[in-house]
Amino acid sequence: MPSQPPLPPLLAPYLSTQPESSLTLVSSILGATSNWLVLRFLHAALSNSSNNASIGLEDSPDGKKKKVVFVSFLRGWEFWKAEAKRLGLDLTRLAGKQQFAYVDGLSELFTTPKPTGNTLPTLSTGSPAPARTTLPLRSQPGAVPGRTPAPASSPIGQGSTGGPSISEPGIAKKLNFAGQGLTALDKLERDISTVIAKFKTAEDDEILLIIDQPDFLLASTGPSYAIGATEMMDWVTGLQQAVHATVLTLAADSPLLHNAPAASNQMATPVESEHAAFAIGLAHRAQSVMQLRTLETGAARDVSGVLRISRGGGWSTGAEENLDEKELLFYIQRDGGVRVFGRGES
Amino acid sequence: MSFRKRNISLGTDRSAVPNATQTAPPEVTPGIRPSPDDGRPTTSTGAPSLDNLLAGHAGLPMGKSLLIEENGTTDFAGALLRYYAAEGIVQEQKVHVVAMPEQWGRSLPGLIGTAESLDEKRSDRRKDERMKIAWRYERLGEFGAGVAGARGAAAPSPSNAGEQDPNAKQPPAFCHAFDLTKRLAHPSITNMTFIPFIPAKDSPFPAILNRLETAISSSAANTIHRIVIPSLLNPTLYPPESCRPEYVLQFLHSLKALLNAYPARVTAMITFPLCLYPRSSGLVRWIELLNDGVIELCPFPHSADNLTTSGAATSQEEPPQGMLKTHRLPILHERGGGSDQNVGEDWAFTLSRRRFEIKPFSLPPAEGDTEAQDTAASSGMPKKSDLEF
Amino acid sequence: MEREIGSTMPQSRSSRPDPSSLKAHEIFAAQSTPLHPHLPATSHPHQSRAERAMAPINLSHRRTHNLLLISKLLNLRDTASPFTLLLDSLEQPATPLLKEYIRRAKLSKVHVTLISFETLRKPDGVDAFISARRKSPADIMSEVASAYQPAKTNGPPQRRLILIDAINPLLSSKNPDPTFQLASFLGSFITPRDPTAPKADASLVVAYHTDVPGLLHQQSQNPYKPAHLSILTYLATSIITLHSFSHILAQKAARDRSLVAPVFGLDEEQDGVILGRLDKLTGTGAAEGIVLELEHRRKSGRGVLEWYLLPPASRYAASHVKEVVTLLDDNVLYNPPVELDSRAEDEEPKSTFELGLTDRQRRDREGVVLPYFDAQYGDGPGEGGRILYDMGEEDDFDEEEDEI
Repeated sequence: MPSQPPLPPLLAPYLSTQPESSLTLVSSILGATSNWLVLRFLHAALSNSSNNASIGLEDSPDGKKKKVVFVSFLRGWEFWKAEAKRLGLDLTRLAGKQQFAYVDGLSELFTTPKPTGNTLPTLSTGSPAPARTTLPLRSQPGAVPGRTPAPASSPIGQGSTGGPSISEPGIAKKLNFAGQGLTALDKLERDISTVIAKFKTAEDDEILLIIDQPDFLLASTGPSYAIGATEMMDWVTGLQQAVHATVLTLAADSPLLHNAPAASNQMATPVESEHAAFAIGLAHRAQSVMQLRTLETGAARDVSGVLRISRGGGWSTGAEENLDEKELLFYIQRDGGVRVFGRGES
Repeated sequence: MSFRKRNISLGTDRSAVPNATQTAPPEVTPGIRPSPDDGRPTTSTGAPSLDNLLAGHAGLPMGKSLLIEENGTTDFAGALLRYYAAEGIVQEQKVHVVAMPEQWGRSLPGLIGTAESLDEKRSDRRKDERMKIAWRYERLGEFGAGVAGARGAAAPSPSNAGEQDPNAKQPPAFCHAFDLTKRLAHPSITNMTFIPFIPAKDSPFPAILNRLETAISSSAANTIHRIVIPSLLNPTLYPPESCRPEYVLQFLHSLKALLNAYPARVTAMITFPLCLYPRSSGLVRWIELLNDGVIELCPFPHSADNLTTSGAATSQEEPPQGMLKTHRLPILHERGGGSDQNVGEDWAFTLSRRRFEIKPFSLPPAEGDTEAQDTAASSGMPKKSDLEF
Repeated sequence: MEREIGSTMPQSRSSRPDPSSLKAHEIFAAQSTPLHPHLPATSHPHQSRAERAMAPINLSHRRTHNLLLISKLLNLRDTASPFTLLLDSLEQPATPLLKEYIRRAKLSKVHVTLISFETLRKPDGVDAFISARRKSPADIMSEVASAYQPAKTNGPPQRRLILIDAINPLLSSKNPDPTFQLASFLGSFITPRDPTAPKADASLVVAYHTDVPGLLHQQSQNPYKPAHLSILTYLATSIITLHSFSHILAQKAARDRSLVAPVFGLDEEQDGVILGRLDKLTGTGAAEGIVLELEHRRKSGRGVLEWYLLPPASRYAASHVKEVVTLLDDNVLYNPPVELDSRAEDEEPKSTFELGLTDRQRRDREGVVLPYFDAQYGDGPGEGGRILYDMGEEDDFDEEEDEI
């Protein structure tokens, strides 16, 4: 089987152009995750010549730089880095070139950051280059020693067996959720927009914001934190205002969508009804919705799943209305290449 | 078809990706070996046929978690979890058990040798089926003699009996065989840690996470850890408030962060009772989404009867005790999913005294058609009698 | 050919209160202009059989009057509906209809205010764009009031259109304003609180996403409080439910074959499916457009229910003045022309005689009691075997013939 181009030709028009202040929603389910599609979005934005992926990391000639701020809540930096490398994207290098910023929503979202240096606020710069220069600050006694013993972490961290590395180049910011309701969300929003603001060097920089599964934030906080679908959507809107376009992934598993019927007052847990309200509400705002799912007929050897591209309910200008709605099949090869084809084709 | 595809993609895979994530030489650490699929370090779940199910990695990749859900009131998942814990102890890894009392550690199955030793015995009886074995091989192993067995055999490993003594000087085995009727006696069994719940006014989980985090970060850099979470949210073990999504989901997220922070040193296995928390609920779906692998066990309702009547000494092939569904597999689904040969198969499982066997499920031939039944059995898998000493 | 009006209509959701039973809320009642006497009575879908027999005449009545009605509503003439509620779903979002409102408002120089709960940037044609993100209802109210200052003239009252792109976020906020009252909030846009301010005829158009689940906590606070959707439908003077034309066609096609009507999108309850809308639905061809199901409450209290079709915006120029909305029943795809049926009958062998019978003729023929039946009940010799004939209405009684 020949290796596949990083951007499947059928998908390229959908991945490479996001109209201004648009929202693209990518939905996934348990058996069909969206990571490969997110990586394709990254590739389309960061590699300026789509036909030659191995090079193509130079600045585009027209001076209009495409930049990406990527917030991931469910998957780690190592994963994204390794998978992007398979596509020929060196995210660490791109981060060094101020083209890419990674905001880590996994490592320390709910754990209290330990004052061992890797979480010093001085590291929250938009790029790893200044981060490296601030590394000596690690031992600065600015942070209060926590109750957990810290001494062991440093030798382990640098150990070759994969402990947490202290200077993770490429991570612009680690998010930490603290507090209640809007205050907590505001803090996260501020953290992300700080990254965006530092990143935005020129006015005409096109910044693409990719938020990977913010729905988890909603599920894991919920009404007891005074956070609901409305608050989360306002949070997304706040971030959208700072960037050119937004791509957002969320789960669309049946239990999360269909247990909360809109009309009836059937019993649905807050997790279910809030998630449904969030997902459907965002689809109402989105310009396009890309839905991933598995085959209804069960698994097949040469098909990984189905991708349905539809227009969302959001306002759009005339040009976007020409977006072709499509349903395609995709197959992810073992080498990470993706083949996208129509039904009945192969 | 599957044969060729796999080989080719494997080659491109290796050339295209210089193993960026694996910094440690995995062969050095006992119980760790590189995945045949992409070379990442993996460790055994203690059940060879479960290892073989995990998307071609022939083991649970390090830094990943596996959720085993079980319907009904049986405890097959608990047996799998005991294998996992026992394997960790035999490999001298650090095993952390959440919420269970220390008695649980005494119920671990006894070691009877390496997994290959069991397989060798079996394959000796099957010399006439060589061709079939070779073919099975390439299909990434349907059961015990799959990749795990194949790779184990490639390394020189003595396979004769007398391996009751785990301290015997021999190259480290990847996976061991255990006997559920025996009790594990191993010097490092005292190294297990049991993390009980401390009564807390809000979430009980941060205290547990703290202990895990401390234990892992304060251990030597080459220590491998296993986090064992039996029967998550079981009301007899967990405080009633713990099933609130903001507690349990934050816990699992932090656990994921922990696994992610030590990608080459920690694995986790969680069992989960589906009869208390059905899969159709949104909370359970989130729990599944937060794990790298999700496997569901659906025991057949009659299996309990069969187990008592058939016993271990039956010469007949044991009927499967339930169905096994793979909803998500580590690595594979993270990348998008779907293309593994094992995905979409119907699996059945059989738990016997010495092994947890997972094999393709096929409806048995009509009652009374014993001849067909025998052929089906012998071609599909080893007979029970073959497993006897 | 009989045309059954109503029975071919897609089913109206039963949960909604019957429009004819709605009582006008005082706020809206005060704003409504007197009923135009020339507007005819409603064509209710539940017509009696006798009425249906009159269909052709009725249809043209309906066409004239209901098209006039929708035109008045969309053009905001005479404040025919101070408060219009748009019920949409992902399968047919309200944005195209909101755009149509804006387009028409621009043509007639109406001031347009968009209160945005969802929209990020000011759409074309909107005069005042008010982002409602994280704002209290009171703030929104005062911003809306200050966004437009009608000039103090003695001419005809100026007109103003206030759009809310989605009311759901306001209703499901986790931090609700305790003093918030939906009815007075909406009312404030129509009736300025300051009575001395120059009067402007304001029309409020509010979109509500029916597929976004309502929130439980609202119910748990006061379980006796009516649901938000019920309050909205009660207050609204017109309710427009939006449907995708291609879905309506697919459902009608299924019903015509007595099949279960297909469902789309979320109703499919399929893993991973949020949206079912696809350009190329099998069998519907290029069925573009939006079906509007209108329930309008007149000043008199009577209701009008009609189904309309709004063609896609690309079919007409932005400055197009003539009415573009048509009755759904007039659509060729929805109601294929009768000629199709007659062509089917043409397949019978041609002859100079009319061999076919109409239904009526067949019924009458079956009703005839043949002489030999009558003869069997003979009351005596010579009594049976008469020709029994009941006069039909088309029989032309002729004295002379009878004498033969």
